[in-house]
Amino acid sequence: MPDAVPLPPLEPTRDPRVTLPDLLEVLLNRGVILHLDLIIAVADIPLIGVSLRAAIAGIETMLEYGMMRQWDEQTRAWVQRSISRSVPFADGEELVARMAGGHERTGLYTAWRPGTLYLTDRRLFLFRREPREMLWEAPLERIRTIQGEPDRSVGGEKRLRLRVVLDDGSEARLSAAEPERMLPLVREQAERLGRPLSTSLPGRGTGLEILREGHVWYHEPRAAGPVWRGGEAKLDRRNGLTWKSPLDARAAVALGPDEIRGVRLETGRSPGGSRVLVVETRGDPVRLAVDDVLAWGQAIVDLLESRAAAERYDGGG
Amino acid sequence: MALSVDENSLKHGVLSLVVTLVEVIQEALETQALRRMEGGELTEAELNRLGEALLELDEAMEQIKADHGITASVEDLRRGLDDVVDDVVDKLINPARWAEEAGEERS
Repeated sequence: MPDAVPLPPLEPTRDPRVTLPDLLEVLLNRGVILHLDLIIAVADIPLIGVSLRAAIAGIETMLEYGMMRQWDEQTRAWVQRSISRSVPFADGEELVARMAGGHERTGLYTAWRPGTLYLTDRRLFLFRREPREMLWEAPLERIRTIQGEPDRSVGGEKRLRLRVVLDDGSEARLSAAEPERMLPLVREQAERLGRPLSTSLPGRGTGLEILREGHVWYHEPRAAGPVWRGGEAKLDRRNGLTWKSPLDARAAVALGPDEIRGVRLETGRSPGGSRVLVVETRGDPVRLAVDDVLAWGQAIVDLLESRAAAERYDGGG
Repeated sequence: MALSVDENSLKHGVLSLVVTLVEVIQEALETQALRRMEGGELTEAELNRLGEALLELDEAMEQIKADHGITASVEDLRRGLDDVVDDVVDKLINPARWAEEAGEERS
């Protein structure tokens, strides 16, 4: 084997460039002791004196030297208390995620109540600080499943909502600033508790399924006589029939599926033509006009029939 | 001595300087935060809070730079500061260079 060529002696080398962040990192990791005595003088007359003794280092370095441990722990504990002073955390309950959110309150009309959505290691809840109210909460053990549900809000913009089903079958619809972030976190926490969430939604048509939506005129009852007004109507399995004008704050028509008794066509003058869709309710009938009257009528009939079928199924047990 | 200052370039200059320094501090905070995370003493909630806050800070800095159109100036200023640091450290490691330069200036 030929003689190996002797290598030059090893010389210490340096990365060609040292940047300011590198310098700071080294200083903070090692720790810096500064002794500074400074006099600022004008015409040789001292005017300002500075006498400074400083130890500056990253907290980890401080802790290594046994300094500031108590202060560090107190500061971190103080923050926990000041958050929980207003938000009702239980003792030892730990926050996993927090973001803006809302809860959908159904009933007389559908409204989204805004608050802050908190996921802890024990619960998922929506809390509002001012005025102080717990808008919705559920312990993680009670959540059967949580799903993202795309939704066309009344304003027309698409949002991903969170549908939560609890172990007693009750449901809630929540919204979140970052639903894609919240969903896996909730699932993770539930798994951690040994109660992984099912991935299937309860069936039998309790889903949102929008049957029909579009621009529809509503013959709105007024003191001086009914008036045809334009707006957006939506027919879906859960909320029933809603109609809202963009000029109004709330939907003028909000008929739950149970409140729709029937539907028929009438002849009459309307912006949609010569036929008016009349929706029978427990109270006054609702008159609507739309270009595709027949399609809307059929959709409402479908809704009534599927509900009747579901009731028969339930009754049969 | 008359001193004429172009207000816009003064604003531009001061803003770039301030943002550059904030960015340097931000990076120092991030490295120290990393050290704390590896230290293993922070709870999960604290880790999340810290991570989120640093992320928000980063996003806010990007927004400020974009809104004021100073991204390029800040980069240039950073590179300038890094050059100064590199030069100083180099001289500290090679005192011969320092003496050499001092000699040049005197002559």
